Amino acid sequence: MAHLIEKTVEREPTPSRSDGQPMEPVSPRQEAGWIGRLRDWIEERTGIFAFAKHHLDEPMPPGVGWWQTLGNLLLTLLIFQFITGFALAMFYAPTPDHAHESVRYIMEEVPLGAFIRGLHHWGSSFIILVVILHILRVFFWGSYKKPRELTWLVGVAIFQVMMAFAFTGYLLIWDQKAYWATVVGTRFASTVPVIGDWLMHFLRGGEEVGALTLTRFYAIHIMLLPVVLVLLTAAHLYLVRRLHIAGPVVPQKGKPQPFYPYQLFRDAVVVMVGVGALVTCALLFKPALYPVADPSGTNFTPRPEWYFLGLYELLKLMPPKLEILGTVVIPGLVALGMILLPWLDRSPSRHPARRMWVIEAGLIVIFLIGTLTLKGILSEHPMPPATSSAVSSTASLPQ
Amino acid sequence: MSNNGFEHNDDQPNAVLRRRVLGWLVGVINLAVLGGIVAPVLGFISSPANWRQRRKEWIPVLDESRLRPGETLSVNYQVPIQDGYTNAQRKYSVYLYRRLDGSVVAFDPSCPHLGCRVEFRERKQRYICPCHGGVFDADGNLVSGPPPTGLTKLPVRVDAGKIWIRRV
Ligand code: FES
Repeated sequence: MAHLIEKTVEREPTPSRSDGQPMEPVSPRQEAGWIGRLRDWIEERTGIFAFAKHHLDEPMPPGVGWWQTLGNLLLTLLIFQFITGFALAMFYAPTPDHAHESVRYIMEEVPLGAFIRGLHHWGSSFIILVVILHILRVFFWGSYKKPRELTWLVGVAIFQVMMAFAFTGYLLIWDQKAYWATVVGTRFASTVPVIGDWLMHFLRGGEEVGALTLTRFYAIHIMLLPVVLVLLTAAHLYLVRRLHIAGPVVPQKGKPQPFYPYQLFRDAVVVMVGVGALVTCALLFKPALYPVADPSGTNFTPRPEWYFLGLYELLKLMPPKLEILGTVVIPGLVALGMILLPWLDRSPSRHPARRMWVIEAGLIVIFLIGTLTLKGILSEHPMPPATSSAVSSTASLPQ
Repeated sequence: MSNNGFEHNDDQPNAVLRRRVLGWLVGVINLAVLGGIVAPVLGFISSPANWRQRRKEWIPVLDESRLRPGETLSVNYQVPIQDGYTNAQRKYSVYLYRRLDGSVVAFDPSCPHLGCRVEFRERKQRYICPCHGGVFDADGNLVSGPPPTGLTKLPVRVDAGKIWIRRV
């Protein structure tokens, strides 16, 4: 590893402004005293101040404004998830015997527990919402076009990782809703041809959703996905900065402004509003905790989180025997369409009017997903509580 | 970028070949090291995918006398299972239905679509799946909705005054 790092450092090209001027090394400060000397000492060895100045001075083309603040809000929300997740992990136990109880303990006994879990719980919804807005902005601005195809691709991967976060995190509280959502969610895998059954058992860590499912999802949620997300985010930011921001579709008159403080101020305002809304949510609405997971449990209507409701409604529409359409084919096509977008849309122009079919196709997909999601939200209680009067009796296997 | 300002000593006849071979070796060694950790870890984490519960035994779930002809009952029972690192008593349920001719059928309550637990509506004599709206009749046949088949029947027998089932 060490030689890898050295290599990157050596190969760092002399950074230059987009206007072709080489990056100025930061001149030693006039301010004497030990702070100035410490600063120079660090700068000489790391170049960190020049690096920061270079990026803070990045020129923003005229017309870049509020729509370009979503990325920064996302980054902030992700950091929030990381911090609250780390804190929650200190009080949480990923076993069927203790998971639900430890979440109840967090919610009811640990000071600020309900608030911290609220931040983490609502934070995930906020992130999905903001990431969707971010993707829509990039789509309509055509910012994924050459040379930014890879930035888009990495962004799509980040979106998938977030969905994986949502899915694995959902199970951890081990209540009825979590359990049944995971039973159904992992059953999706079994509809894949040939390897489906193995895949489902692999995801579950056995035949049924149980102790090993919980530890798997926990390990994926707190170790694998964060590392992948950090790497992808770093790559995304690197590409964004290397290729510079795409700017408005129609170049606007005016002079470019440096990123700091103008754009960063807009970012700060949006971050403040977004985080403010999140904190308010966490204070006002306690996240639900249903009764503990029970494979024999009745009287429970499993419903996924709102961002999976479109898929949930889609499954209701699929004819028998063609479930694979709803579980694998259609979601797969949507994902594939996102991945291939920069190559499907070959027109060199970013202007929406000059790539009508892409815009129309996009609008149709958005409309369909939106309608299904709305349908799911509106049919919040599709069934009256079960009225089955069947008597339950309990028997157990003589040991 | 000219070799980071450092000239390789390439004037010797074999130098180019040597560099290429060494470069290959670096790649091969690194791949082997990577494989050395990834292969056992993949084997380790995928091992539970092939585990199956032993389920050959018959389980007594209900006194035979409690199930009248034409009646459907939801019965809970417990089975000791090995759940990963723990031995657990796992609760399951089963629907028992006595046909008018006296024979008994047992249905796995998990929906053949994506596994939600179906609910029996006594008044309509229908099973309804709360997830995507699958509907089955009292005999387990598919009436409507996305499930591909009717409810899964479990082996059942009546013996010594008890109804016994076997999980499949
Ligand atoms: S799981 Fe029963 S209808 Fe989908």
